[in-house]
This record gives sequence, C-alpha cells and structure tokens, in this order.
Amino acid sequence: MPDTILVIVEQQQGKLNRVSWETIAAAQAIARDTGWAVEAAVVGNNIAAVAAEVSAKKLAKVYVLDALQLERYTPDAFAAALKQLIATKQPKLVLLPHTYQVRDFAPKLATQLGRCVISDCTGYRHDAGKLLFTRQMFQGKFSADVGFGSDAPWIATFQNGAFRGDKAEAGAAPTPVETFSVTLDPARNQPEDWFKEAKQAVDLTQAEIIVSVGRGIKEQKNIDLAQQLAAALGGELAASRPICDNGWLPMDRQIGSSGQTVSPKLYLALGISGAIQHIVGMKGARAVVAINKDSEAPIFEIADVAVVGNLFDIVPPLIEEIKKAKARS
Amino acid sequence: MLTFRKSFDIADRPKMEADVIIVGGGPAGMACALRLSQLIDEHNAIHPGTPLSKENIYVLEKAREAGQHCLSGAILDPRAMRELLPGFETEAPIEATVRKEAVHFLTETRHFRLPITPPPLQDHGNYVISINRFVKWMEEKVEAAGITVFTGFAGSELLYNENKVTGVRTDDKGVDKKNEKKSNFEPGYDIHAKVVILAEGTRGSLTKELIAKLDLARDANPQTYGVGVKELWELPAGRIEPGEVILTLGYPLTSKEYGGAGIYGGQNNIVSLAFVTGLDYQDPRLDPQRVLQEFKRHPFIAKLLAGGSMIRYGAKSLPYGGWWALPALAGDGFMITGDSAGFVNSARLKGIHLAMKSGMIAAQTAFEAWLNNDSSLKTLGLYPKRVDQSWIREELWKVRNFHQGFEKGLYAGLFHTALQQVTFGRGLHARYPSHAGHENLRPLARLPVDGGPDEHLLGDAKGDGKLTFDKLTDLYHSGTKHEEDQPAHLVIHDTNLCNTRCVKEFGNPCTHFCPANVYEMVKDTGAPAGTVSPKGISLNAANCVHCKTCDIMDPYQIITWVPPEGGGGPNYDGM
Repeated sequence: MPDTILVIVEQQQGKLNRVSWETIAAAQAIARDTGWAVEAAVVGNNIAAVAAEVSAKKLAKVYVLDALQLERYTPDAFAAALKQLIATKQPKLVLLPHTYQVRDFAPKLATQLGRCVISDCTGYRHDAGKLLFTRQMFQGKFSADVGFGSDAPWIATFQNGAFRGDKAEAGAAPTPVETFSVTLDPARNQPEDWFKEAKQAVDLTQAEIIVSVGRGIKEQKNIDLAQQLAAALGGELAASRPICDNGWLPMDRQIGSSGQTVSPKLYLALGISGAIQHIVGMKGARAVVAINKDSEAPIFEIADVAVVGNLFDIVPPLIEEIKKAKARS
Repeated sequence: MLTFRKSFDIADRPKMEADVIIVGGGPAGMACALRLSQLIDEHNAIHPGTPLSKENIYVLEKAREAGQHCLSGAILDPRAMRELLPGFETEAPIEATVRKEAVHFLTETRHFRLPITPPPLQDHGNYVISINRFVKWMEEKVEAAGITVFTGFAGSELLYNENKVTGVRTDDKGVDKKNEKKSNFEPGYDIHAKVVILAEGTRGSLTKELIAKLDLARDANPQTYGVGVKELWELPAGRIEPGEVILTLGYPLTSKEYGGAGIYGGQNNIVSLAFVTGLDYQDPRLDPQRVLQEFKRHPFIAKLLAGGSMIRYGAKSLPYGGWWALPALAGDGFMITGDSAGFVNSARLKGIHLAMKSGMIAAQTAFEAWLNNDSSLKTLGLYPKRVDQSWIREELWKVRNFHQGFEKGLYAGLFHTALQQVTFGRGLHARYPSHAGHENLRPLARLPVDGGPDEHLLGDAKGDGKLTFDKLTDLYHSGTKHEEDQPAHLVIHDTNLCNTRCVKEFGNPCTHFCPANVYEMVKDTGAPAGTVSPKGISLNAANCVHCKTCDIMDPYQIITWVPPEGGGGPNYDGM
C-alpha cells in the first residue's frame, strides 16, 4: 500500500463547499512531488450526489461517511466519524480546508488521535524528502515553514485561496466510491437551526432621510423618541459616537470619522453638538436640520435649519405634524 | 461600564527566538538597529567563515508605519547622525538648515527680543526636520540593511526569568470592548531574546514597569516631564523663512509655570508651532492645549499666523529631569535608551541626538553580549559606563541641575541658570533635588475659584476656527485612529476614586491635561433610568494620541497607559 493523502471534503445540506476543490488541488500537487495517492472523504447524510461530484476528480478513492447523526454538523460526531476512518485507513497526511467548521472540529479530531494540526497554511514545500507547510506570522510579514515532529497521520489545513480550485485535476474515469460505516455514540451537542447571517442591518449610505441622535438625547430610553421620528419620516436612525460607545445603538449606526460617511437628502441632528469628527461623516447631506439647546453648538454652522430648543419639547409635536401631513397626502 | 485591557493567560503562545529585540522604532531604536547592522557587517567582513546573521534582530513598533507616533519640534543636532551615517545630509529628509534665530520674552501684550540668543539655545548649523519623515527614512535604511521592523506590533509585556529580562510579548490582537476574544483573535508572540533594548520613548510602558519592578530609579531624582502640544501651519509665503527659529518665554504662562514655545520654519511655508508646558504646574484646571491656543492669541504670534491655516496637530510628553533623573540604564538582559531613559538636554531643548547616540552605544554593547553569549549585567553594564565616557555625559553634566532650578518658578530658575553657567553646571548645590511634577498639583480648595493670574489657562479652549481651535477640532488634525472595539488601554486602577475623591479635591485634572479629550466626566450611564446620578469618569480611548501625560500627571498615580492594539494611534506626518 502506498502512502495516502486523505482530503476531507466539506459539504452543507448536500452542497459541496467549493473551497474543497482547492484542498484536492493541494493534495494532488503534493502527490506529484511525493508519489503518494490521494483519497477523499465526504461526511454527512444523504450525500451520494456530493460523493459523485467529488469522484469526477483524479483520486484513488472516495469514502462516504453517511449517518443520520452526521446530517447536521456537530463537532462530536464529525470528529468521532473521522477518527474511525483515519484510524482504519492510516493515511500519511490528512488535509482540510481552513473553514469555520474545520476550525471547530479539527483540534478535537487531532487531540483524539494524539496528533497536532498545522493550521491555516498558505502552501507547502517538499525538500529533500521532508514535507514542510508554510504559515504566515506577524500578519503576513514573515512566513514560517513548519514540519511535523510526530509520526503520521499528519493533519494540516489550507487557507482559502492558497491553491486554485480550478486546478483540481479531473480523472479519466470516475473514482471508485466506498461507503465507510461508522458507529457513533449519541451526540452530546444538539445542533440548532442553520445560522443565517443577519442581513446587514442597515446601509446608512443608501438612506435618503437620516435621524441622528447625540448626547442631547440624555438617556437610552429616549432613543425611542428618535426612532418614532425616523419611522414617521420613513428614514433611518443613526447616532454620534457617544451614543454608540454607550451601546445605546449598534456601532454600524455611527456617523463620523470613526463610523459611516453619509450623504442623505435630509439629515436631522437631534442633540448633536457637531464636533468636526461628526461633521466629516454627514457634511455631504443635501439639507441639515439641527435641534440643539446650545445656540453656540458648531452643528448650527452647517445646518440649513437651526432650531434652538429642547428636543423633548420639539420632537413629539413634530412627529404628530408629520403623521398628520402624511395622512393628508 | 469601563473595561480595561488586561493580559490573557494563554498557555501556548506562539514563540520566536531573537538575538536582539528593540522595543520602539523611534530615533533611538532605529539608530540602535542601524549601528548593530554596521557592527555585524564589519564582523562578517573580518570573519567571512563565521558570519553573523541579522535575521533574528527585530524592531517592534506600535505604529502602523514607522515614524507615525513620533513627535518633536524638531531641531536636529546632527552630531550623532554624522557618526552613524557620515554624509547623511545628502539623502535624509531635512527641511532646512537653521539660519536665523531669535528668543523673545512675551508679556500679555508685548514682546521683547533678547539681545543675544543664549548659548544653549543657539541652533546655527542644526537642521529643522520632520521627525516622522526622518524616522521613516531611518526605517527604510534599517530594512534595507536586513533588519526586520515589525510595524503594528507593540511590546505589551516583558518576559522575565526571575529578575532577568528574557524577552518581550507583543500585543494580543482581536480583543473586544469587554476583553473577550473576537473571531479574529490572535495572541501576542512571546519573543525570547538574548538582549532586550527598550527604546519606547517618554514614559515607556515596559520601561516604567521594569523600573518599578527592579527599583532602577532608587538612586535617581524623580523624573520630571513636560508636554509639547504642537500644530503645523501653512503660512502665506515669506512670513517665516525655512530654517528660521523663534523661541519664546513668558506669556501665556505666568512665572509659576515652566515652559515655552518653539516656532520652526520648514519648506513650502510649513511652520511648526509647539508649546511645551512643564508637567509640574499647580492648578489642576490648567489645560496645555488651551495654553497653545492662548499663546497664538498673543499679538506677536497672531500676526505671524494671520492668513495661514492649521493643517496638523499632535502632542507628546518629554522627560526634563536630565542627568540626575536617569535610572540604572542596564541590568540582566536589558538596556534602556533614548527618552525612555531620559536623555534630553532641557537647557538646549534637544534630545533626538542623545537618543540616537544612546541607541548606538547600546548597539555596541548588545553586539558584544551576543558575541560573548553573555547578556548579564556584567556585559550590559558596559553600556552605562560607555555613556559615562561619551559626549552624552559631557553634554548632560553641564546642565545637570538646570531644570531643577526652575522648580520654584521662572525667576528663581533664571537666577540658578546664571549661577550654573559660571560654575560649570553646579550652581548652589552639587546635586539639585527634584520632585515629581504631579505632587505640585494643588487641591481646588487652596486655589482662587477663578484661577487668579492663571485664569486664561484654565478650562476648555473655545476656538474661533481660524486662529484658535477647540480640542476636538485640533484632535481631528492628528489623524488618530484606533480599532474601536477594544478594551480601554488607559487603565484606571480605581475609578471610584475619580468619581468621589478626585472630583472634589482636584476637579478631575485628566479632563483638562489630556490633549486628546480622552477623559470625560459624564452622567453615569449605568444608573437606572430616571434617577439623578452623579457624574462618572468615561473614556474616549480611541482619541488617545499616546502622549502619556495622564500616566505622568494624574495626582493619585492611578492611571497606567498600556499599548492598545498595535497599529492604532495618531498618524503624524510632517510633524
């Protein structure tokens, strides 16, 4: 039996993660230098289609680890299943793409095998019979070549983009697919529903109307008042830095030199003094309406409409008037 | 509400081995690296069979780019540079050669030019430089020589083996406001080095910790400091010539405060305007940024600046204490150089050349320690001995009692200075004592409510937007930027003291002396809604320009400045 490289392919809900092609390309490149054989493994439930897709590449074998407990990812089940495969097949080298999922289970898998992982590699070197992996240090200023000091199986992960997926060589004939059955204990982890990344909550740069609050709003509960005004106007809510620093609004609603730069048609500044750090973020607004108690506030220098007064006296009737006006039109 | 930066306990940090590590890439650190490189080149030329490698010599610099965090007047006495790189003038970025100089004494409305420029203040033949550009140029030299500068990496802790310094830990990256690891968390590196050279600048955070741990300042006078607040102006052509130097004493300071201004003409009508205020003033409401604004309102200065525009702002502290305030400069595994040690000639208002020279001497010593494989005090102790035999001592010894003479105010200072001039620096005492400047702060109860003669120096500058500026507007022109989602790096050890005791006794001087509006007393946002709550200390840590004034001047000494995530800080250019 020649030495083998085992690539762990990543799939989610029956869909192959394209970064897996990069890992296969990496394995094929190492194989050309070392003469080792390349095999792949697919882990999940009902994954025949993924296995077939992978088998089109030039590989010695594709293992399918198919079990109900593997339908949804848990670190326990994935590590246990792969441990059985690796312990049985004794590959020389196990390669994985450096995905979030791999970052989660690879340390556990390696520990169970009594091995370590060389993670997030950007390449490899085959030097005088020794296989070395390249990792970045000091934010890419240095590269270090790292080798394994232990016996095989060796485990390494490659950074996204380290190899080109379209360089993964196709095979002349489909690769034989072999089912590898695993026995799994009941998982200790209970997967939740698939996490969907919260859609970018707000893109203030596209907003035509922005109601922005500053320190003059005084208390967190008063944010609601500004929210009502924004809703009445059909605009977005934003803030100056102290408000976001306090955690009263999320940081993606911060306007200014350390936040977003906006140029809406209307910018309503409530209780914002108008330090230059804020002004640079909103001076592109077509019209600026500022409400502030302090008639000396610098915001008034760039305001088209300056309202000197207590925003708590002014905003509630303003909301009512806007609602009335909208109802009429 | 406030969460402060603290070190993580991580068992297996990434490790690196180094032969020499230099913490801080300013004039001292860069001169040190360049000298070290020269010594290695010389060695390798003589011993081609056993060459030494520069690969494991590193400079750590917290700024994103070398030079960004440096701030000075700046006038360069070229003595050290001429030793380091003879003929450097042909390629280094030099604004102008000093050709014209004057010293003025300002009263509230008038100015008197001193008939002669006192010898220590004579700058003929020195160079006006931008320290940012000069250091950036030095860094290019260092990298070209084959020594690596890690920009964006701060030295956050020293590594010890008992009392021997064995290395430096770099800053942890990717830590959020609550001191939790973010998804991009990267632990700092443990860089183990045969020799650690501290070149952090004034009040270096590692140097401070080391001096305290090993009691290195036990035989020294307490270090005293000033803070330089600086604006760069673009003036109408012909107002101030390149190479023209104007120094002022007096207004807006009264005879109680120490300090003065320097105006230096550079190329393209760019003029540097800096006011240094001694951090030993009495009134806790004094605001050094306000002092600079008041200075500009003096008719003599306002006339100079009329029609010009302010283009950059910055602030940095500097050590004044001189020879008697130097700590022990070396110990097992380490040497202290430049402003971190306190190599400043306060009579000449100069330290860049001394910083460079100290770095060069440290390089010589580090090189020998490396060759002999001995970095104990036995070998590194040669560094202070060599400083003692060098022109550093010659220069500082003459002015060893200079700044202490001013502890009792301007007039006493001028008396002592005159006396020291004719006694080769001795004056009335062989060694004038000094006191830490923060001890001078007086409780509000002992001061006139309106500030008395200091009234015009107290409180926030309003700014007219043309000649004078409020602090936030000035700050904007420093280009300061930090990762916002990180814990506060101004570690206040007892915020309760700020909110209960300091507010009554001193009125929170941090809210005044900080030139970047980092410290604010705001209504306590943690209090339940609707309750009337007292104000509490709040930090705008992302404003910090890394000047260290808070660490120095806080009356209770409960603020520790530690490096924020590397890469953050001011972006000084042309300053």
